[in-house]
Amino acid sequence: MHTESLKRQRRNITIAAICVVVGLLFALPQLGLSVYFMHTLIGVFIWIIVANSLRLLGLSGQGSIGHAAFMAIGAYTSAILAKFLGWSPWITMPIGVLVTVVVGFLVAVPFTRVRGIYFTMVSLFFGIGVLAVNQVFNKWTGGYSGIISIPRLFAYIKTPYYYFCLALMVICLLIMYRLEHSRIGLTWKAVAQSYSVASSIGINEAWQRILCLGVSCFFAAIAGVAYAHYYVILTQETFSFNTSINVFVYMTVGGAGLFAGPIAGTAVLLIIPELLRDLREYVPFIYAAILLIVLFLMPQGLAGLPAQLWQLIKRPARAKRMASEKEVGERAP
Amino acid sequence: MLLDIHGLTKNFGGLIAVDHLSMSVGEGQIVGLIGPNGAGKTTVFNLITGVIRPSAGKVEFDGKDVTGKSPHILAKSGIGRTFQLTPLFTDFTTLENVVASYYLHPRSGFWDSLFNTPKYRHNEAYALEQSLKILDMVGLSKVKDERAKNLPHGYQKMLGIARALAVQPRLLMLDEPLGGMNTDEITFTMDIMAKVRGLGMTILVIEHNMQILDLCDRVVAINFGQKIGEGSVKDIRNNPDVIKAYLGEQNVA
Repeated sequence: MHTESLKRQRRNITIAAICVVVGLLFALPQLGLSVYFMHTLIGVFIWIIVANSLRLLGLSGQGSIGHAAFMAIGAYTSAILAKFLGWSPWITMPIGVLVTVVVGFLVAVPFTRVRGIYFTMVSLFFGIGVLAVNQVFNKWTGGYSGIISIPRLFAYIKTPYYYFCLALMVICLLIMYRLEHSRIGLTWKAVAQSYSVASSIGINEAWQRILCLGVSCFFAAIAGVAYAHYYVILTQETFSFNTSINVFVYMTVGGAGLFAGPIAGTAVLLIIPELLRDLREYVPFIYAAILLIVLFLMPQGLAGLPAQLWQLIKRPARAKRMASEKEVGERAP
Repeated sequence: MLLDIHGLTKNFGGLIAVDHLSMSVGEGQIVGLIGPNGAGKTTVFNLITGVIRPSAGKVEFDGKDVTGKSPHILAKSGIGRTFQLTPLFTDFTTLENVVASYYLHPRSGFWDSLFNTPKYRHNEAYALEQSLKILDMVGLSKVKDERAKNLPHGYQKMLGIARALAVQPRLLMLDEPLGGMNTDEITFTMDIMAKVRGLGMTILVIEHNMQILDLCDRVVAINFGQKIGEGSVKDIRNNPDVIKAYLGEQNVA
């Protein structure tokens, strides 16, 4: 009973903290946030969605290093429709997401025939393949030089974009959290641990992995279309292999085992370079330092740091208490 | 007959792992499948449960042809099974293992789960309640919050059975449930099996340990993929072919 109430208390504190952070983020533009930093934060919101969608895919035991390709499909579809057909971005964005989900499900059928590291390899080839397709259709996608002056969602001011992307991120995170903590997430985790046991209890494990990839694509595409109509330029580099790897790094540095992991990882790795603008040449070194520190000292990633520190504080206290108890015990007889 | 197998055959290249095996399991029985190492017992299990496809032959469950169907379809039609080696979701707790196994009955759809509908909440409450009951029955209540990989071997085996029971099967297939257990655990497991039969389930069990024969209504003995004996426990104990397979030629009196 005691641990139960303690758990509830900790949960309430977490919820309160999240509300404060989200409230603060919503209030920031009113508190005189610089336009430059607002720009940075919009990027953070978008990449948090992608990093978390990658973690969602990881729940079913599938690691992708070509995830940016799904962003690309959504982004390019929406951008091309809006630019060349003159449709409103508000219509093309859902279409972009829909197209990506359909493509996601279609490619998932052959891709999920392989598991684990082989799936990861296939995802890499898919990422490269999508870039090649981008070259073939350079009449619309612009090939290397990319597609520019994509219609905007809002006029040239950043504040509406800020609110839009923040709201999008909060909604996406809420849905992903719900997915993970419902039976859907439980089933995916079961499939990840043992597909043979999972199928012995009636789970159609191949379908579950297809479903997981499709849902993950949905969120990646949402981030993709938001990206396209905010940055209004898409090039070959935007969704390259590097981007996929970056997303993977955001997730792992933050801690792939925790829901807050990709959020923490993306925020830290995207905001630090902006704070150290004057030291721009050294940013790769700082990145490397962060990576190494996390790799060696934080097995749970950045998001696991509070729990780790708590353990550190608690341990000496407990050791002291045990020592004093021992002393008392020795003196007692 | 609940389970009927006709002429089941499996070749791995030139090796014939199972050779024209026919057997049947009647409703409510406990049937033992015995044989020395490498006799093809686990292969027979995997053929029945659809993990591998037979080269020839037919498997009928409850009068329906289920040859070569996928494992999850067989689970749906009412076959629960345990595994010899990887019996668990190792990162889940004991309770989570069983709750996760309540996947088919009741079944919650994607949208129900996502939107946390009353139907979904009802299903989950039911799954939790039943899981606790099953854990109670197999004596794992005290370790329900322990991670499965940290459990002692005997408990892991029991959890495997608990998981298979969550499928609410009509036929429970146990792959060496007594493997690596000590005497107390063996007695306990056999009690559970008797209890499970009491619940109206049929059991097909693979075992090395001959103690299992005390429970069996019928026994099928195989060696090199071929049936060498079938019948009551007494028949099998006195069957010269079976004794030969287990003890070798010279020991036959």
